[in-house]
Amino acid sequence: MWRYALKEGGRWALALAGAFLIAVGISALSVAKGGYGPALAQRLLAFLRLDFGTSALSGQSAIRELAAHGPTTANLIAFGALIALALGVPLGLLLGTGAVRRATAPLIQIVSAAPVFCAGLALAYAARHIGFQESAAVFRALLLPSITVGLAGTAAVQVALRRAASQAQDSPFRVGLRRMGLTAIEIERVYVVPQIFAGLLSSLGEVMLALLSAAVVSEWVFKCPGIADLFVKSIALHDWNMAALILFVFAALTATAEFIGRIAARLLVRAAS
Amino acid sequence: MSIWRRILTTAGWSGLGVIAVAALLSEFLARNALGAVHAGPSLSPPSEQFPFGTDFLGRDLFSETLYGLSATVAQAGEAAVLAVLAGGLLGFVTAHLPRPSGAVLRWAIGTFAAIPPLLLAILVIAATTRGFAGLAAGLAAAPLAFVRAFDRARGENRSSHAAYARATGISASALLNRDLAYEFRDTFLPTVARALAAVAIILSTMSFLGFGAVPPHRDLGLMIAAAKGSYMQAWWTAAFPALALMAFVLLARLAAGLDEGERP
Repeated sequence: MWRYALKEGGRWALALAGAFLIAVGISALSVAKGGYGPALAQRLLAFLRLDFGTSALSGQSAIRELAAHGPTTANLIAFGALIALALGVPLGLLLGTGAVRRATAPLIQIVSAAPVFCAGLALAYAARHIGFQESAAVFRALLLPSITVGLAGTAAVQVALRRAASQAQDSPFRVGLRRMGLTAIEIERVYVVPQIFAGLLSSLGEVMLALLSAAVVSEWVFKCPGIADLFVKSIALHDWNMAALILFVFAALTATAEFIGRIAARLLVRAAS
Repeated sequence: MSIWRRILTTAGWSGLGVIAVAALLSEFLARNALGAVHAGPSLSPPSEQFPFGTDFLGRDLFSETLYGLSATVAQAGEAAVLAVLAGGLLGFVTAHLPRPSGAVLRWAIGTFAAIPPLLLAILVIAATTRGFAGLAAGLAAAPLAFVRAFDRARGENRSSHAAYARATGISASALLNRDLAYEFRDTFLPTVARALAAVAIILSTMSFLGFGAVPPHRDLGLMIAAAKGSYMQAWWTAAFPALALMAFVLLARLAAGLDEGERP
């Protein structure tokens, strides 16, 4: 286990280092008038001193801007993740079985083809015509964006679970356990379910990427002043320091989710076996 | 591949063929010229005269959706080719490089795969110009395609047939050529379709956010963005371009053989 954790820790550190270098490369665009090479060296030294520069939009330090906008995005992703788990886990488990999957496949394929911004606009339209948006400001501020992000996460969660369920279905250990005298329910409960959830945990990076991607669009559609919205504005106005820091945060979040997920998956499988 | 999956894949490619023909013939099929204003009353609902209705400038939405679909398909085609070459093919070849150089490239490009492709595309556009939307979407979709192709090829490279081939003195380049031929035969079309679905979503979202198509050349994303102010009262202004976009993405997903909910 320790060897595995060290290997995964190394991969995580390399991913963070890569994200750091990308951020330095983008940030160097802000001071590249005297040539990109010297600008790169200057920004690399500054980043190593944890000086992420100032936002060209507000004149404040990029870190302070990030801290100001961060909670909105964090809330959005946290609520989105809750919705993704609440919907994605039962959906993934249900769709793991053949008959239900065949019946629902066309509908889910159609829903999966909808880009996030279309889903966001459709939700806003539905909320307005049901009368929710006028009655509660919280719908516009948090619930609708969270549902949009959550739906994108739901797709990622149910795919990860279904993939794991299909792998567990074909595992040779089932036959061996049955020959040892275990009942089908015991095999499912003690061995298969942990395998399936370990599959979900291994795909945590993918789920995080889906949530972050959806957060960018959702914040724009619903005018939430989070860091994803800030990224779009920073890019539009060539505020490279801000854009670099946000990209670093997003890449670091994905890499960290992947690292934690893989370790947790390994622990879960070990605990079950 | 099951018969059901085969039918869906065939349906996907047939549908993409129909969309490609409609996009090519958009000038003939459209009832009005591109961007022709006051073709009808403003915000007229779908009717016999205007099957998709009109927008706030009185443009015929049927014609505009056809032009928008044509622009989206053309750009998505370019971007998908780039994503397949810079992602899939490069990933496959990199997996056959000596271990240190392959691992360094996998790490470098894999780092980009941890960033949402939409943000990468927007970044490329900001560093270049909005005319390069296709290039930006292709480059943004490439890291994920690279990682998938690299991991698949690395697995094949470690398989028993590769070990036997090396043991019998077959050179690395001959093995690469052989694997490439099989890769092309087995996964080229699904990879292209997958890339089409991915870049169509990236391109339309970029245009929706204001980083993609430049007016008067409106793609579906820009049409939906333009409808933001009117769609609450006139649903058809956003619904038909969105349905056209969804149909294109759905057919590309089916052609790629993607599972329900799977990311392209």
